[in-house]
Amino acid sequence: MEATAQLPAWRTNLATIGALMTRARNELLRVPGAAIPGVLAPTIFFLGLNGVFGALTQLNGFSTGSYEAFIVPVSMLQGAGFTGAAAGVNLARDIEAGWLDRLLVSPTPRWVLLAGTVLAASARALIPATFVIAIALALGAGFPGLDGLAIAYLMVAAMAAIAACWGSMLALRFKSQSAAPLMQSGMMALILFTPAYAPLALLSGWLADVARINPATDVLEAARQGFVGAVTWADTWPGLLAVAGMLALLGGLALREMRRTAV
Amino acid sequence: MNGRASLATNLRVVRALGMRSVRQTFRRPQLIAPIIVFPTLLLAIQTGGASAAVELPGFPPVQSFLQFMLAGAIMQSLMLAGNSGGIALAVDIEMGFTDRLFAAPIPRFAIVLGRLAGTAALGLFGALWFLAIGLIFGAEIESGVAGALLAVALATAAACAVGGIGAAIALRTGSASVVQGLFPLVLVVLFVSSAFFPQELMIEPAKTIAAYNPLSFVAEGIREPMISGIDATDTLEALAAIAGIIILGLALSARALRHRLRVG
Amino acid sequence: MPAIVAEGLERAFGEVLAVQGIDLAVEEGEIYGFLGPNGAGKTTTVRMLTTLLLPTGGRASVAGHDVSAEARAVRRSIGVALQEAALDPLMTGRELIRLQATLQGIPTAEGRRRADDLLERVDLAGAADRRVGTYSGGMQRRLDLAAALVHEPRVLFLDEPTTGLDPVSRKTIWEEVRALNNEGTTVFLTTQYLEEADQLADDVGIIDSGRIVAEGTPESLKAEIGNPHIQLQLAEGSVAEAEAKLGEIGRLLPPKDGKKVLVEVENGAADIPRVVRILDEAGIAVEALELVRPTLDDVFVAKTGYHLEEESEENSEQEPVGA
Repeated sequence: MEATAQLPAWRTNLATIGALMTRARNELLRVPGAAIPGVLAPTIFFLGLNGVFGALTQLNGFSTGSYEAFIVPVSMLQGAGFTGAAAGVNLARDIEAGWLDRLLVSPTPRWVLLAGTVLAASARALIPATFVIAIALALGAGFPGLDGLAIAYLMVAAMAAIAACWGSMLALRFKSQSAAPLMQSGMMALILFTPAYAPLALLSGWLADVARINPATDVLEAARQGFVGAVTWADTWPGLLAVAGMLALLGGLALREMRRTAV
Repeated sequence: MNGRASLATNLRVVRALGMRSVRQTFRRPQLIAPIIVFPTLLLAIQTGGASAAVELPGFPPVQSFLQFMLAGAIMQSLMLAGNSGGIALAVDIEMGFTDRLFAAPIPRFAIVLGRLAGTAALGLFGALWFLAIGLIFGAEIESGVAGALLAVALATAAACAVGGIGAAIALRTGSASVVQGLFPLVLVVLFVSSAFFPQELMIEPAKTIAAYNPLSFVAEGIREPMISGIDATDTLEALAAIAGIIILGLALSARALRHRLRVG
Repeated sequence: MPAIVAEGLERAFGEVLAVQGIDLAVEEGEIYGFLGPNGAGKTTTVRMLTTLLLPTGGRASVAGHDVSAEARAVRRSIGVALQEAALDPLMTGRELIRLQATLQGIPTAEGRRRADDLLERVDLAGAADRRVGTYSGGMQRRLDLAAALVHEPRVLFLDEPTTGLDPVSRKTIWEEVRALNNEGTTVFLTTQYLEEADQLADDVGIIDSGRIVAEGTPESLKAEIGNPHIQLQLAEGSVAEAEAKLGEIGRLLPPKDGKKVLVEVENGAADIPRVVRILDEAGIAVEALELVRPTLDDVFVAKTGYHLEEESEENSEQEPVGA
């Protein structure tokens, strides 16, 4: 009596990822105002930091006179981190409500379930990023060039995926939305313990040391290069490498938690 | 028992509700974590990231950027404490706990005051936390113990004041998620104050707004004893700003309470 | 081959042994009722059988596949409707069933067709495009049931499918479960309602504190408890006198409320005329008489020492015979 018509595995997997992404999209479209916090937080940070710390560009060591241009990739990545971590919070909510069980009792491979969550976060992170860029351009930050823009968007999508892996890992471990502050603050630390506010040379000693070994520094520099200068391969590949490394690590850990959740 | 409760009874009610709200706050990591974790994280990031700012022409003389930023972190913490108090009250409303209180023969203001006691405790805790962090990482309190006490007292009072507004919004909306949603707004009003940077060095339009933002006065009142000395003008201006916020919070709370009792 | 087998199945959470060595065998095409109070270990057992939780001891297989080693194969063969139907309030009923079809690897067109059929079957076609958040409790359970059926599973697990539902919704679910079973689906059903187990199950397992304390068909379990008894309310005359006379017919049970006389009878209703005659001859007037058959609750009490449900009147099979 088992279902006779079965799709090939890869098509089932793709269809499932698509269906899970559609569900995440519904959440955005069907809850009035659901998109607002994700857009608001990075925008507030962008405008706020700019108003507060804008005078920093008077210091020697800045390669640009525009603090908007310097800070916009930070806010884009923050939006991505926020959105990705929120995917973890949503997963925790799904676990609390028993929804995840519905997915877990299906024969779908566990990585497909994780990929649905993670890719949805990547796609969703493009919304706040676009919003922040639009405001920055309106305020006079120079256009980063198509290549610079493409790399910035790529880094945003990747950072959202990294944050979603991190959030999912914690959600699967703690099975409770009360882990939300940990999801959010972990990503905030990752993205901001970098040359976010000022170039490496101007950071105080301990932060410069942390930023040097923080892989998110390479991601930020890759996303920032078009806004503060020219796009070069030398500034791009470390970002790609950092993204790949963090995705492999956190994705692997999240998957391990997902497998431990059930059989 | 006679119809009107005596002052002593009312105070006992406020104390009982206050104790409950303090206990509740410290038992729920979701309420305490944002008040400590986020401002601490931001303090580390901002002092590390913008430490060179002290070299900017026009920056007030300070021992270090950390010394300057402590007041900013305390401001952030007390604002979030006010927000958390509002969330806790809204949760009470959602769970129907406030109905139990409304149905009891106690004055309405006791309910709000009791809630504010929890908020004040959080504000106090935040101020002490950041003073301790400052001292551990080498920031000195220029005006000594008296200055530290003044800063802590102002921070606690300000937490109460901000909590009044949080309580008013909770009473009006009765929704924890709405109050939670104000979190970003807390940052907005702080970004347009001198909490994080000297007002004269900020960029327009934030600079102009900060000049009139009452939170700037509170921030300066807390900061002055730390970076230079106790200054009567700064202290009085901070107290005036706090009083203004308290009056606003009380007015809004009273309105919201009437509204709640009218619409049920 | 049995559809579900468990041998010494155990699950510990830290120090607490929630399920303590369960053995059971559910035959193909059977409805198995797993009866027990809250916290007895029903849900933990179901979660192990449906691959949501690893056993810490023993083994189990479903549809011929080991739940630990062949979890994927088990998942292909089972449909699951869990307690408190976990549904996304933002999805429509149709979207939910289509998602479930996708999860089971059913091609899109086929999935759509099955979704339409199932929604029709559980009488939700009219509400199919409304958001699940607007459904009543009964509608949500029916939707959950439909979702569990999308891949035509061989074995269906229903964890307390009617808890919290009104009597009408409960009956609707029962009818659907019977219909599915008639089509050949094996059903494993947990419940805390005696009536539900009695009405639906071919076999019942009673679980208490993580152990199966009794197992068998509802009839055999009740028969094990003993014979039916006749309960008499006297209009006049003493209880002691009546008891003295009735002692000849069968074993006397402790009188109820001190006023009702209870006597066990071997032949059920056939013994009633004898009882009436004896009392009549003794000049004892009877106000009411009823034949009481053992219920699953009596079985439960006999095995565990306490009642499963408070609302036992609703479930007892009292047959008023006249006054």
